[in-house]
Amino acid sequence: MSWMQTKLIDLASRAMDLAALRHTLVSSNLANVDTPGYRTRDVDFEGEMRRATEGLSLGEPRVQQVRGLVERPDGNNVSLDREGLSLADTQLRYRLSAQLLRVEFRRLLAAINEGR
Amino acid sequence: MNLFGILEINSSAMRAERARAEVVAANLANAETTRSAQGGPYRRQRVAFRAKRVGRFQTALEGASAIHARGVRVSRVAADPAPPVRRFDPSHPDADAQGYVNFPAINPVEEMVDLMGSARAYQLNVAAAQATKAMIVQSLDLLR
Repeated sequence: MSWMQTKLIDLASRAMDLAALRHTLVSSNLANVDTPGYRTRDVDFEGEMRRATEGLSLGEPRVQQVRGLVERPDGNNVSLDREGLSLADTQLRYRLSAQLLRVEFRRLLAAINEGR
Repeated sequence: MNLFGILEINSSAMRAERARAEVVAANLANAETTRSAQGGPYRRQRVAFRAKRVGRFQTALEGASAIHARGVRVSRVAADPAPPVRRFDPSHPDADAQGYVNFPAINPVEEMVDLMGSARAYQLNVAAAQATKAMIVQSLDLLR
C-alpha cells in the first residue's frame, strides 16, 4: 500500500461504491412500485462493509430479495415507507463517505505542501 | 453503471407514471363518450407496467449495479373488457331501437384513485432523482 492509498481512502471509496449500488437498487424498487410481480431487492450495507474490513470480501456484493414484506395481490411487495427510509439512509452514508474522502485528500495535500 | 445511469431509472419511472396519468385523464374525459372510431362507446383504457433493464451494455465490466438496475416501462395499454353500461334515454342521438344508450363503464372515483396513485409514485421518483443528483454533486465536489 502506497502512502497515497491510505486505509481511510480505501474504506471510504468502498463505502461510496456500496452506497451507489444500494441507491441503484432503491431507485429500481421505487421505479417498479406499481409493476405486478416485482420483488424488492436490497444489499446488506453493514454486512458487506464488515466483510470488506475483515478482508473477506470476494468480488461483488450480494444483492438479495428482501424477505418478510407484505405482498400485494398483484405479487408486488415494494413498501414505499421502507424505500423512502433507505433512500435517505443511503444518501447520508454516501455523503459521509464523500466528506471523509475530501478530508483525507486535504490531509495528504497538507503533507505534500509541508503543512502550508 | 455510474450515477448518471441511475438517473435513467428515475426518469423511466417518471415517464411511465406520466403515461399512466395521461391514460386516466383520457378515461375521465371520455366518461360520457358514446361514439368512437371503433364503433360503440369509448372503452376504458388501462396501462400495464413492466420492469426493464437499463444501460446500454450488459457486460461484466459495468459491475454489479448494472446487472441489478431495473427501470420501468409501459408494456401495453389495453381496453377494459367490462361491458358498457346501458342507460334508458330515448332522446339521445345514439339511442338504439329500444331507447337504450351504451355508455362507457367508467367509474370516476376509481379513475381518481388511480390518478392519485400515479401522482404519488411520480413524486416519489422525483425525490429519488433529486437524491441521485445530490450524490453526483457530492462526488464532483471531491474534484474541487
